[in-house]
Amino acid sequence: MAQIELRNVQKFFGAVQVIKDMNLTIEDGEFVVMLGQSGCGKTTTLRAIAGLETVTSGEILIDGKEVQNEKAADRDIAFVFQSFSLYPHMTVYENIAFPLRAVGMSNSERDKAVKEVAEILRIPNLLKRRPSALSGGDMQRVAIGRALVRRPKALLMDEPIGALDAKLREEMRAEIKRLHISRGSTSVYVTHDQIEAMSLADRIVIMHDGVLQQIGAPEEVYLKPANLFVAQFVGSPVMNVADVSVSGNGGDVSVVVGKADAGFAFPQSTLGNAKAGHELSLGIRPEAVLLSHDKSDGAIEVKSTNIEPLGSHDIVDVQIGSEVLRARTESGFVSGEGQTVWVNLDPTQAHFFDRASGLSLRGHE
Amino acid sequence: MAAVRTPREIFLNRVAIAAVMVVLLIMLVPIYWIGSTAFKPRNLATTIPPTVFFQPEVSPFVKLMTKRSQLRKPVEQEVYDAAPWWEKMVLDGGEKVVRTGKGKIRPSGYGQRFTNSLIVSIISTFLAVSMGTLTAYGFSRFKVKGEDDWLFFILSTRMLPPVVVAIPMYLMYRVVGLNDSHLGLIILYTAFNLSFSVWIMKGFIDEIPREYEEAALVDGYTRIQAFFKIVLPEAMTGIAATAVFCFITAWNEYAFALIMTNRRAQTAPPYIPSQVGSGLPDWTVIAAGTFLFLLPVAIFTFLLRNHLLRGMSFGAIRK
Ligand SMILES: Nc1ncnc2c1ncn2[C@@H]1O[C@H](COP(=O)(O)OP(=O)(O)OP(=O)(O)O)[C@@H](O)[C@H]1O
Ligand SMILES: [Mg+2]
Repeated sequence: MAQIELRNVQKFFGAVQVIKDMNLTIEDGEFVVMLGQSGCGKTTTLRAIAGLETVTSGEILIDGKEVQNEKAADRDIAFVFQSFSLYPHMTVYENIAFPLRAVGMSNSERDKAVKEVAEILRIPNLLKRRPSALSGGDMQRVAIGRALVRRPKALLMDEPIGALDAKLREEMRAEIKRLHISRGSTSVYVTHDQIEAMSLADRIVIMHDGVLQQIGAPEEVYLKPANLFVAQFVGSPVMNVADVSVSGNGGDVSVVVGKADAGFAFPQSTLGNAKAGHELSLGIRPEAVLLSHDKSDGAIEVKSTNIEPLGSHDIVDVQIGSEVLRARTESGFVSGEGQTVWVNLDPTQAHFFDRASGLSLRGHE
Repeated sequence: MAAVRTPREIFLNRVAIAAVMVVLLIMLVPIYWIGSTAFKPRNLATTIPPTVFFQPEVSPFVKLMTKRSQLRKPVEQEVYDAAPWWEKMVLDGGEKVVRTGKGKIRPSGYGQRFTNSLIVSIISTFLAVSMGTLTAYGFSRFKVKGEDDWLFFILSTRMLPPVVVAIPMYLMYRVVGLNDSHLGLIILYTAFNLSFSVWIMKGFIDEIPREYEEAALVDGYTRIQAFFKIVLPEAMTGIAATAVFCFITAWNEYAFALIMTNRRAQTAPPYIPSQVGSGLPDWTVIAAGTFLFLLPVAIFTFLLRNHLLRGMSFGAIRK
C-alpha cells in the first residue's frame, strides 16, 4: 500500500496540453475517484501514474520516492483497463497468474495466490475458460483479479465498468467497494459517471480540460462546489445558475435574479465579502428552490413555464425576470403550465460565484 | 440456430454447391495429371487419348533419383536376377543405373536440388518473417520519423520486376563470391520477401490492442518480454499466413535461381525443366520431380491451416 503524490505535473501531446499543473496527494489506503467529462485528461493522468505515459514536467511520487522516470514495470502498480484487455490466448487462470510469473514465484505459491483471488472474486469455476467465453461482468472480475493478485502498491482503474450494462454496473460497483474495504488498497478510479463517483469515493477529484477543479469528499463537492463548473457538473438534476445582482447593505441584502422587479432577502453572511452591486452568479439546486401556492414572506410571484413529471417528484420551471429556475416539488404540486406560484430560495443552500472567474465566494471566506 | 429456408433458397444453395464442385474439379485436373503421370510406366505417359486406368509403379521416382544410361543390348539374365527390385524396373524400361567404379550408385542431381530448395526456402522464410515481424512491431508501436515514407520505401523494393535487377545482381554477386551459394540465394529471397512480410505483419500487429502489452508492462514485464509473451502469440495467425506466402514465393522462385546458381546451390525449379532437354524427354520422371516438389508447400500449408483459418476476431477486448 502506498501514498501517491503528483507535483506540478504537466503533459503535452505535441502542442496540446492535456494535464495542466496538476497537484494531488492520494493517501495510503484511500479510494480516490477522478471525475470529469470525456477528453478532460483522466486517462492520461492515470497512465502517467502507472508509467504508461511520460510526463512533460513535474514529479510523481510513490511513497515519497520520485518515479516519473521509472519504467511501469518498476512502479509496482496495477492497472485495470476499460477494455479489460485479458489475453485471449490464455485461460482465466493463466491470465491471473501472468503478473506472478514476472516475479518468479514458486508454482505452489502462485497457484495458491491465484485460487485465493479467484475465491474473493467468486470466479473459481471460470478458471479454465478462455476470456472470449466470459460475460462482461466476469471479464471485469478477471481483470480486477489479475490486478490484485500480486498485491500491488496501488490499484488504478480506468472506467472499469463503463462497458457494462446499467444493472451489472450497479452490482460491480458494490463489489469494487467491498473489495476495497476488504483489501484496503490505495485505489484511483476514473469515471465520468457521477453516481459511481459519489458511491465509491473517499474523495473525488474533479477535472475539466486538464485542470483539477476540486478535491473533496463526495458530500463536500456536492454541498460546497468550489466553482461554477463543479456546481453544474455534480448533482442531478443540474444546479440552477442564474445571473444576479446584489443590493442593500448591512443585515439582509436583496438578491435580484435575472433583473426581476423584486429580490430575495439573503443574510449578508451567505455572500461572504461580496459588495453590493457586484455581478454574481447564483447557484441553487432544484431542491432549494421552494414553491408554494400561498403568498409568504419574501416570496416572489412567478409563473410556471414547464413541468417535467419524474414519478417520485416533478421538476417545475419558473420564470424569474429573464432567468428560468428549476424547482423540485412533490409530484402534481403544480398542475399545469402558466400557473401562478410563489417562489422562495433557501439561503443556506445558495451558492454565489464570481461571474468573471467562476470561483465560489465561499472560497474567499 | 438454423434459419428456416425456402425451397428457392435450398435450390440456389444446391446450384452454388454444384458450381463450386465444377470449379474445384477443373482446378484439380492439372494436379491429378501430374500425380498420375508420376506413377505411370513411360510408354503410357504420352498416349492419346490419355490412359486413365493403369498399374501404378514407382519407377519414375527411381529414375528421378538416379543417373541412368540407355541399354545397347538386353541385360544378361544373372545380372538381372542379382539386381534389387527397384533396379529391375529401370532395366525393364531399357535403361541401366550408372555406377561408379566401386559399384556405388550415382545419384541424379534431384535430391541435392531438393535439399537446396528446402534449405534456402526455410531459412529465408524464417529470416524474412522474424525480421519483418520485428520491423512491423517497431512501426506499429513507436513513433518513427517519416514512417509513411519508410513504409513506402520498403514496399517499393518490391516494385521492380526481378528480371530487371537479375543481371546487375548477378554481376555484384560474382564480385563478392555469392553466386551459386546458399547464402546468396537466402539473402536474395529474404530481401525479396521482407517488404511483403513487413507490410502484412504491420497490418496484423496494428490490430492487436496496445493495452495487451501495456497490461504486461505494468505487471512487471519488460517490453521485449511483453513482445514475446503477448504480441507473438496474438500475431500467430498473421505470422502463419506470412510464413506460408514467403515460403511459397521462395520455393517457387525461378528467375534468380536460374541466373544465380548452376550446380552447388541450385534449387529444384530451374533443375526440373532442365531435364526435359537431356536426351529423350521422359515425362514420367519430370512428373515425379514435380510431384515431389508440390509436397512441401502442401504439407506446410496443411500444418498451419488452423492458424490460417482462425479469424482475428477471437479476442476478449471491448472496443
Ligand atoms: N497519445 C495521444 N496523442 C495525442 N493526443 C492524445 C493522446 N492520448 C490522449 N490524447 C488527447 O488528450 C486528451 C485527454 O485524453 P484522455 O484520454 O486523458 O481523456 P479522458 O478524460 O480519459 O476521456 P474519456 O472519458 O473519453 O476516456 C484528449 O483530447 C485526447 O484526444
Ligand atoms: Mg479515458
